[in-house]
Amino acid sequence: MSYRIARDLEEALQLLREGRGSARIIAGGTDLFLQDLPEALVDLSGTPETLGICAEEEMLIIGACVTHAEAAASPLLQEGATVLAEACGQVGSPQVRHAGTLGGNVVNAAPAADAAVGLVAMGARAVIVDTADARRQEAVENLYADYNRSRVDSSREILLHFAMRKHGPGEGSAFKRFASRKSLSLPMFSVAAVVRLEQGLLQEVRLVAAPVKPAPTRLPQVEQRLQGLPASGDTWRLAGELVREAVTVRGSTLRCTAEYRRHLAGVLAERALQEAARRAAGLKAGESK
Amino acid sequence: MKKQIIRFRLNDEPVELLADPAQSLLHLLREELELTGTKEGCGRGECGACTVLLDGRPVNSCLVPAGKVEGKQVITIEGLTRSGEARPLQEAFVAAGAVQCGFCTPGMIMSAYALLSSNPDPTREQVAEALSGNLCRCTGYVPMVEAVLDAARRLRGS
Repeated sequence: MSYRIARDLEEALQLLREGRGSARIIAGGTDLFLQDLPEALVDLSGTPETLGICAEEEMLIIGACVTHAEAAASPLLQEGATVLAEACGQVGSPQVRHAGTLGGNVVNAAPAADAAVGLVAMGARAVIVDTADARRQEAVENLYADYNRSRVDSSREILLHFAMRKHGPGEGSAFKRFASRKSLSLPMFSVAAVVRLEQGLLQEVRLVAAPVKPAPTRLPQVEQRLQGLPASGDTWRLAGELVREAVTVRGSTLRCTAEYRRHLAGVLAERALQEAARRAAGLKAGESK
Repeated sequence: MKKQIIRFRLNDEPVELLADPAQSLLHLLREELELTGTKEGCGRGECGACTVLLDGRPVNSCLVPAGKVEGKQVITIEGLTRSGEARPLQEAFVAAGAVQCGFCTPGMIMSAYALLSSNPDPTREQVAEALSGNLCRCTGYVPMVEAVLDAARRLRGS
């Protein structure tokens, strides 16, 4: 096996071209040893085109090789994409967060990857280039072919960065997960919520749940039912019931039964919406109107 | 297995060797460079016994492909003990009874050192968070958190 560290995007693409399908992109590499190794690896993690977090007017651009630790600690994301910063801060452990990247979290295609859930809640789009120099944009939730299988072909495509609209006035978001331990445990269930409030009413709601399908899953029927309702305890309870009805869940021998997962879906949706609405109203945790 | 030349800085000294880039950094350190202070627990990123600093940040060396360290800086427990930088942490761990079998201790010290390097006055919660990627099957963690808080006080006082 060969291991090459690409200096920039062009070199990474060239190494993929030379590999003719046998070379593969890696970033943080934290899942590498849990899979079969390819003939050649092209390490993308030092390429300037995939690094850094920046704000351009109302948009946030996050490089695919930004680590979870960098994202969680970024004031730009804490402010403008709270749900994503929060989700990134709950991936694995400090050691995993310092190595693993947001791009890797998405392309590895695990069904309840925390950062991916946050990205989908933010309505993030991924910018992808291929070895023929064609560039395309895709919604993050459309990058999943199946459980643990991405539509991004790492032998000829490179996920460059994510683009999303940052929170505007009256917007707030939150990420809630439940696992058997706080660290180093895959979540039994997770819910991300983004809301926009106007005069105490929910004008816009985005709710994402995982694991439900191969990709983090938006719940549009629930989102529509909540529109126009007041930001209040009754609304959160209704949301919990609707989410419990809306999600299809599977039991897992290692984590929990389907029944318990459904219960968690409702509880976490209530908590995520409540916290998102508090933040949208400019209140801190624990404060209420 | 095809080998390639890997050059990096290890414990502040340049290293250049011909090695398999697809092995883990943990394997490279222990088996090829004979630095056995870094321990292998689970070998899949879940226990933190193999924690080293890669460009100053704590990572699981069992998950880092050896090829990835090219041009980078790696610090292991041997580097910290040789330079004396781990001394306050070592003393605090002994004083607090934070060591029983000792297998997780090098990883704990590396995570604690990384925390104190960036945050000399951490809260109890921040210490627990910094150690949350390191498993211990003996002590129950409380003495370790105490030890790190104690080391932080010693370092601030010196």
